[in-house]
Amino acid sequence: MQEIRASFFIECEELLEALQDALQMMEGGEADDETINVAFRAVHSIKGGAGAFGLDDLVAFAHSFETTMDEMRAGRLEAEAETIALFFQCGDLLSDLVRVARDGGDIDDAVRSNLLSQLEELAGQDGQAAEEEVVDFQPMGISLDLPAIDGLPDLEADSAAVTEATETEANALRHVEIRFSPEPELYRSGNEPLFLLRALAGLGESTVCCTREALPDLEEYDGTANVMAWQIELHTNADDDAIRDVFDFVDGLCSLTITEVGPDDPGGSGDEVTAAPLPVDAEPEASLPAEPVPEPIRPQMSEDTVTQAAERPADTQRSKPGATVRVDLDRIDRMVNLVGELVINQSMLAQSVDASGLSGNTKIASGLDEFQQLTRDIQDSVMLIRAQPVKSLFQRMARIVREASSDVGKTVRLKTEGEGTEIDKTVIERLSDPLTHMIRNAVDHGLETPDDRVAAGKPEEGIVSLRASHRSGRVIIEVADNGGGINRPKVRQIATDKGLISPDQDLSDTEIDNLLFLPGFSTASEVSNLSGRGVGMDVVKNAISALGGRITITSTPGEGTTFSISLPLTLAVLDGMVVRVGSETLVVPLSAISETLSLQKEDARALGPQTQVVRVRDTFVPLINLGTELGYSPPRESYEGAIVLLISHEDGQRAALVVDGIEDQRQVVIKGLQDSYGHVPGVAAATILGDGQIALILDPADLLMNASGQSRPHQLARTG
Amino acid sequence: MALRDQLRVLVVDDMSTSRGLITQALEGMGIGSIATAADGPSALQTIERSPVHLVISDFNMPGMDGLALLHALRNGAKTAGVGFLLITGRADKEIIDRGRALKMNNFIAKPFQPNDLKAAIEAIVGRL
Repeated sequence: MQEIRASFFIECEELLEALQDALQMMEGGEADDETINVAFRAVHSIKGGAGAFGLDDLVAFAHSFETTMDEMRAGRLEAEAETIALFFQCGDLLSDLVRVARDGGDIDDAVRSNLLSQLEELAGQDGQAAEEEVVDFQPMGISLDLPAIDGLPDLEADSAAVTEATETEANALRHVEIRFSPEPELYRSGNEPLFLLRALAGLGESTVCCTREALPDLEEYDGTANVMAWQIELHTNADDDAIRDVFDFVDGLCSLTITEVGPDDPGGSGDEVTAAPLPVDAEPEASLPAEPVPEPIRPQMSEDTVTQAAERPADTQRSKPGATVRVDLDRIDRMVNLVGELVINQSMLAQSVDASGLSGNTKIASGLDEFQQLTRDIQDSVMLIRAQPVKSLFQRMARIVREASSDVGKTVRLKTEGEGTEIDKTVIERLSDPLTHMIRNAVDHGLETPDDRVAAGKPEEGIVSLRASHRSGRVIIEVADNGGGINRPKVRQIATDKGLISPDQDLSDTEIDNLLFLPGFSTASEVSNLSGRGVGMDVVKNAISALGGRITITSTPGEGTTFSISLPLTLAVLDGMVVRVGSETLVVPLSAISETLSLQKEDARALGPQTQVVRVRDTFVPLINLGTELGYSPPRESYEGAIVLLISHEDGQRAALVVDGIEDQRQVVIKGLQDSYGHVPGVAAATILGDGQIALILDPADLLMNASGQSRPHQLARTG
Repeated sequence: MALRDQLRVLVVDDMSTSRGLITQALEGMGIGSIATAADGPSALQTIERSPVHLVISDFNMPGMDGLALLHALRNGAKTAGVGFLLITGRADKEIIDRGRALKMNNFIAKPFQPNDLKAAIEAIVGRL
């Protein structure tokens, strides 16, 4: 029962999602007659399930909700904007009620009774009246003394008839004996009898016996002669053609006989017979004589093979609805971890094979290559299991926009794009809070008041856009508003007032925008009901970087602000470049590296006592010596011949990291450090390398931010 | 051999929760052969493959609702005489009347207890 209850709540989430979709279509005017039905069904199904578990609050509200929706279905109620807005609110409350039923908690009774009275008002008396009516219905028995349904046994018949009937049922399964004896040519052409036997086993329960009659004494044994044969007992509902299809590829390369032993008798008690599959369609083969019928193989390239094989699993007694399976997330996580270990293990193995000095063209080496490829494929597949579309997250944000806009008295429309974009489930869950905050900010601070908008010649309705997309191996999520843009003078003023920067500091627009991310910064002059809940953009930023993501701002005065979050697809593995710095081995995420260079003498230039730049084609890029930056080695005298990783940040910032050597490029499993060490500047996580050594995975963007000699706002905050 | 051992039932509901609950209740009654389907069309397919005595179907389903399924069953050569128990969320007179016209054997309104379901089935097939 607990299991069904848990699955009910999962199903509720899906139904609520369907409800949201339908309401959104109705709101956007894309609704057809079926849309309201979808919405109604969703609420109705929630009610039905809730009733079974005695969730009375949920049932009562869902009932009122569906009653009103039923009025709309019946065409007695128009889908006016106000009604749809009410439905949205009811959907939100319904979702709260589901949550409370699952996790406990309280519901705002004022909100509920307000919504209920609005629903009742809309539904009017008619809807309620129809409900009260007692329906008179006389059950109709089915006649049991006659075979009620074709092909079914007569229920009330005496036991002899039942036995007879059940025997007929068992005919669906045939018992055949197959003799398969390969010709030498079968082996020569590279066929493998084992595969054929396995394929045969796919048709039903099979017992395989190797016959040794033809096996000569050892001294007479000729390795190339045909001495092996197999005898297979098969219980199947496949016909002879289907059995022959298995041997299609070895046609003419073996001798094959299929002998009907007779109808299958599974034996046992009547109960077991009942559980046996019903006679699907009476196979003519079932009545074949029980005499051996040796037949040569007929050449046959049948398309049926595929179809039959595909349909066979569906023959099971209980049809499996849909093509999805619900799996406990813990199980998947365990698998993800194991695959992670497999990756490490694979690279350790590769390394030790490499160290043993085997040449690259040995079987071991090529086997290892395949192993590596397979490991990767497994890993990708496992990661795909964890991936989910961001749609559910975006839907939650739709609610935030509705609530936030009504709180501050603005008319706001949420536009979403790329809802099908998939990211790791954990990432989606952990994005909820930061996104909520950003959406609230966009509504509260980003968009102007309706009056200001009209004065600026904009439509009164503000737009908040939420977009998701895949870009170069990462997921980009953008929160944009078409408001007034960041008020930079004001931001600067606040930062100065709060002592975050000195008044005379020279800051670029981007640097001013980034002041928003400083701890303790809040642009709202008063704590509003909405976004002023004690968290600032610095918290958002930390949450994003804890996910291995970055956040950037672009803002145009008068046109709006866009926050762009870039996230890794998965939190479990990354492609990294293994580098040596001093005596340490480090991993730099490959996605951050745009190129690697070996410096010439004239490439590096000093730009002051601490700052060096390197010339890359026609631009100068700040040079960061990883060794000194991380305290592994003393400053370099000269950068001639130094190996440099050119790092590119999403916002266009670049830096050249000096390392002592590049060792390898490989996929590494991310082992988080956060739990044990908290946030370590410049370090994203750690990993275990092939030789068992632990290496730190760098966070280049964080490194750039914190690097000495870099004039970033973060730095200014400390010195200014 | 008791009736419940031989009775073949097909449960049709788009909600897996409901299918689970009904199946559980049927198993509790000792009904040995229970098949399930998530929608009308697959119910018809399942029945075509392996006939049943009784179809227990939800009314409220996308695409083909319970009564549309009943209609299809009554018009099928092999399935015209199958027992049909409709599960409705509301005992709406209009639905019941339509069901009556299609020779629906019985209905049961949600929410129900396993015993209610048992009574509704026994009203069709006799004592289990």
